[in-house]
Amino acid sequence: MSFDTALIVESLPKMLMGIGLTFQLLVLSAVFGLILATLLMLMRISGKWWLSWPAQVYIYVFRGTPILVQIFIVYYGFPQLEVIRESVLWPVFREPFGCAVFALSLNAGAYVSEILRGGVLGVDRGMLEAGEALGLSKTQRFVYLTTPIATRLALPAYGNDIISLLKSTALASTITLMEMTGIARTIVAQTYAPYEIFISLAIVYMVLTFLIQKLVARIERHLGRYTLKEG
Amino acid sequence: MTSDAPLIRMQAVGKRFGNFQALANIDLTVTSGERIVVCGPSGSGKSTLIRCINRLEKHDAGRIFIGQTELTDAMEDLNAVRREVGMVFQSFNLFPHMTVLKNLMLAQRLVRKITRQEAQDIAMHYLERVRIPEQAKKYPIQLSGGQQQRVAIARALCMKPQVMLFDEPTSALDPEMIHEVLDVMVDLAKDGMTMICVTHEMGFARSVADRVIFMDEGRILEQAPPLDFFQNPRRGRTKQFLSQILQH
Amino acid sequence: MEALSGWGDDFFQGSVVVAQVFVASLILMVIFGLIGAAAKLSGNRLARTIAGAYTVVFRGTPEILVILLLYFGTALTLTAIAQLFNPEIRFIDVPPFWAGTFAIALIVGSYATETFRGAFLGVTPGSIEAAHALGMSNLQVFFYVRVPEMWRLALPAFGNHMLSLIKDTALISIIGLNETLFVAKQAIGATGQPFTMYIVVGLIYLGFSTIITLTVMGLERYGNRHLRQGT
Repeated sequence: MSFDTALIVESLPKMLMGIGLTFQLLVLSAVFGLILATLLMLMRISGKWWLSWPAQVYIYVFRGTPILVQIFIVYYGFPQLEVIRESVLWPVFREPFGCAVFALSLNAGAYVSEILRGGVLGVDRGMLEAGEALGLSKTQRFVYLTTPIATRLALPAYGNDIISLLKSTALASTITLMEMTGIARTIVAQTYAPYEIFISLAIVYMVLTFLIQKLVARIERHLGRYTLKEG
Repeated sequence: MTSDAPLIRMQAVGKRFGNFQALANIDLTVTSGERIVVCGPSGSGKSTLIRCINRLEKHDAGRIFIGQTELTDAMEDLNAVRREVGMVFQSFNLFPHMTVLKNLMLAQRLVRKITRQEAQDIAMHYLERVRIPEQAKKYPIQLSGGQQQRVAIARALCMKPQVMLFDEPTSALDPEMIHEVLDVMVDLAKDGMTMICVTHEMGFARSVADRVIFMDEGRILEQAPPLDFFQNPRRGRTKQFLSQILQH
Repeated sequence: MEALSGWGDDFFQGSVVVAQVFVASLILMVIFGLIGAAAKLSGNRLARTIAGAYTVVFRGTPEILVILLLYFGTALTLTAIAQLFNPEIRFIDVPPFWAGTFAIALIVGSYATETFRGAFLGVTPGSIEAAHALGMSNLQVFFYVRVPEMWRLALPAFGNHMLSLIKDTALISIIGLNETLFVAKQAIGATGQPFTMYIVVGLIYLGFSTIITLTVMGLERYGNRHLRQGT
């Protein structure tokens, strides 16, 4: 048994062909997930049981089940339902890409909403009271005071969640999508060289993880410049 | 608001937190230009009293009027009333993510809806009055506690309030900074600002207040001009409190 | 729902497999986590570097890649070793149960490393010093003061690690472990009802997650009993 470097040199560009698809899955799911998460978080902190209760159930269900099962329900399960086949969204669910983005977004929404809620709850009550005493309306306080501070507080955890999402995009390979992991699995099936292929791909993912961490850290420094004693 | 009518009127005001009676049967009238110091042991209802005046707490008995407007749930524009009532907190409560200047401009822009330039001019004017115009571009965390509290006072003044409420403004400060904040408050008093101050700074009460109010267990036990108050307290509870607070 | 009749036993068997993987991987995860934390806290630079690499690698690589690599990789290695002794052997199969269990225990163990390390450092030095001052031996201090306090600090994050483990068992179906997702695939082949079957899998996992969540809540209540005022 030996480590075939030539095979890596040959396979790496092939796998990197899938990076575009990996990115599309990541960015689209992150954006839709964030929108959904914001909605869920607002429902949870609304103080109205008929809004917060459904949000809580949603979060509980999506955090309590494996993402792979969620992907399979959407990709394999939805076509069984007539409601879905006849809906306007059918073109989305007919394609594995649409299914993957849909499932990943729903999943990310559940996790991120809890992160956002943590941020909002971390905002100092006294500071909000000062806004209230100055005559700022509830909406103005939320937009100008709560949002910027909660964003900074939630950012580190949000960065970790984006990394989780990146790793979850690899599961799209289980529903025939040829993103990086999908390509790697095909190559391994042909060459039967799991070490060379999977390890070099793992390094690619680690580099991406590292880059995301660096980016988040930079945004964090920018948003948190007011927390430094030295101006 | 006309100047001869009372600025604030509280009639038989009560407030409960669960089983705890925070305020009971409070009657208080404040006229324009009056300077009132409220003192009393912790838990006596001093903070709740002034928090009810700008409705950070809702009273659940009696009536409160600011000028001609009564504070009720049915009020159309609570924020219009809040604009008339400035508030300074024990823990400063500056907006940490905004520079000093932005702290002063935000509510002016959003509530008084004036132009950026106008808001900035007003902000700089009041920063000069609290003697820290050079800190305008800094973030709150870069200032000392005393400076932060002065910014908080300037922020409230920018709204051109009719009355200023102070909730233990010097209690969170290191001793050497108490003075700079009190000096600013004395200046304000000299300019004729109507003020209600919850504080244990009895020197300030002596030199500035028109009336000192002593509270205990949610009630106003005694009120008198400072000279009377300090020299002939009538209630045993007041004497006890004063001896505790003045012994050092 | 009548499509389910006849598959109840199979889903039950699948659930038993999930539970077995969970228990086995939980034990391994704790071991990996403790070794990792000990290494990170140790004075040995090499140990710290290895533990650091361990956490970076397994947090930055998609779970599915780790599972595939361990499964195919060990099979390949074992086969190569076996052929040294007996050239007749064509292929040695690694049981998916153990490859998968090891893989998810390694992954979640990398997160547990940080949890255990944080909990160890979170124990207030005051109570340790007090125990020493009372004349307790190092071992006594460790077991009577440090471990109970560590346990309380680590519990919330540890609960999340257990949820990760139970959900990650679903991924092992990819290498052929006959857990619930695998059962569902067979049931779908026979009944043509993917939605129903995958929902059943989802509910089974939700049941497992609920049991874990309730257990952790109970343990937390027990662990924090001294922090409650009154009774």
